[in-house]
Amino acid sequence: MTIHIVEDDPGVGDSLAMLLREIGHQVEVYPDAESFFEHTPPGPQDTVIVDLVLPGVSGVQLIRWLARLATPPRLIAISGQSRRAIDDLFGNDLPPVLLRKPLTEESLVALL
Amino acid sequence: MPSVSEARLESVLGTAVDGIVVMDERARILLFNKACETLFGYSAEEVRGRNVKVLMPADYAHAHDGYVHNYLETGEKRIIGIGREVRGMHRDGTEFPIELSVGEAATPEGRQFIGIIRDLRQRKAVERRLAEAQAQLVSMTRISALDEMGAAIAHELNQPLTAIMLYLQAAKRKVGDDHRDTKLIEIVDKGVREAERASQIIQRMRRFVEKRDPERRPVCVSRLVGECLELVTLGIDCRDVEIVNEVGEDLPDLSVDPVQIQQILVNLIRNALDAVRQAPVKRVGITAAAAGEDMLIRITDSGGGVPAEVVPTLFRAFSGAKKGGLGLGLTISRSIAQNHGGDLAVEPNGGEGGAAFVLRLPVVTPPRDGQADAPPGRRGQTA
Repeated sequence: MTIHIVEDDPGVGDSLAMLLREIGHQVEVYPDAESFFEHTPPGPQDTVIVDLVLPGVSGVQLIRWLARLATPPRLIAISGQSRRAIDDLFGNDLPPVLLRKPLTEESLVALL
Repeated sequence: MPSVSEARLESVLGTAVDGIVVMDERARILLFNKACETLFGYSAEEVRGRNVKVLMPADYAHAHDGYVHNYLETGEKRIIGIGREVRGMHRDGTEFPIELSVGEAATPEGRQFIGIIRDLRQRKAVERRLAEAQAQLVSMTRISALDEMGAAIAHELNQPLTAIMLYLQAAKRKVGDDHRDTKLIEIVDKGVREAERASQIIQRMRRFVEKRDPERRPVCVSRLVGECLELVTLGIDCRDVEIVNEVGEDLPDLSVDPVQIQQILVNLIRNALDAVRQAPVKRVGITAAAAGEDMLIRITDSGGGVPAEVVPTLFRAFSGAKKGGLGLGLTISRSIAQNHGGDLAVEPNGGEGGAAFVLRLPVVTPPRDGQADAPPGRRGQTA
């Protein structure tokens, strides 16, 4: 299984990947949704961590698309926005598991 | 029967919107038209033969004899042929601003002076409303800016802080695995604790700001842009700037907090007007186009564009190159847009040759029905 991280902030993406690799996961980082699409779609055993604010195709759109795959991966949204703002973003769809920034190891490990 | 010229004069005086008063060399009123009757509350009969001072507040009335005398003696013109903003006085004692122009005519009956009086109360009221509206805009922007500054800083600090905590936690794991260096682990732990402390401060700040989450409702984009243009151009001199508003009426409604978005648009339009101030071609353009579930509002200008070295930090707090500002305008604008699930981006060399700012905002979406599952990035993006 692979953990895919779609995060435009290089510091956040790199540090998150480093920590997850330390824990023992295989990790790929993408700066935006477009470059994520260039790769093979994730399988059901994979996890995709998506920052909701991305340049271009938004994190919300990416999560919607991933959630509608026949065998969707596990989805974790990360965001600095408020819970209410995020619920608004997802409208009728069920918002995914959400981690708010700043992230901590405990909260991450609990989800993986 | 009055003569033709008398009748004509009578009709001119009666229909004139401005007040017309004619006086003789001794400042006695000879003629007082309908508009004057309304303006001053006297009938023509009442004032005919009286000194024009009756129409003036005490300070002018006091000095008027001197003015007339001085003119007759020296021929030195203080008001004749010039026109001035002065005050008149109604019969009930109310003073009001008027614009007074005075002409002179030599007649067989001696010199006569013709005063034309325009009531300035309405114009003054408009000027006052304008000043009030601007003051309100300034204070609204300030209060909201404080709020938004908190949000912007919280957002800006959150990213590096997240990275710091994750790096430290990764370092701790690495140290723990390889070396069992307890001293180093202790130091890293302390580092993590301090980073957590900082993050708690940010969370408190964020909770405070979150009380003011956007109050979204459907908003007509063309009306919103129109209002913003009006607010910005109100009072400031931008007559030499060609403002092209191409936002159509038939676009879907935005799902936004109109007050917050107005703040962004006002900020962007102001920046655009500033950017073209010294430019040879002064043009500011605004367009809007729906793209999927978003609306893209583009504000372009024909100014100098954004220097390449500034682009990477343009939206960062306190990085502004503009004099006399904290450089928070764009940071705040972007944070508002992102709080709405949208974004704000810059094209350093946009359509008009200068910069183009693209504001992406969500539109009101109809209830979803299972659409084709293509990756959103490949579904004919128009952005």
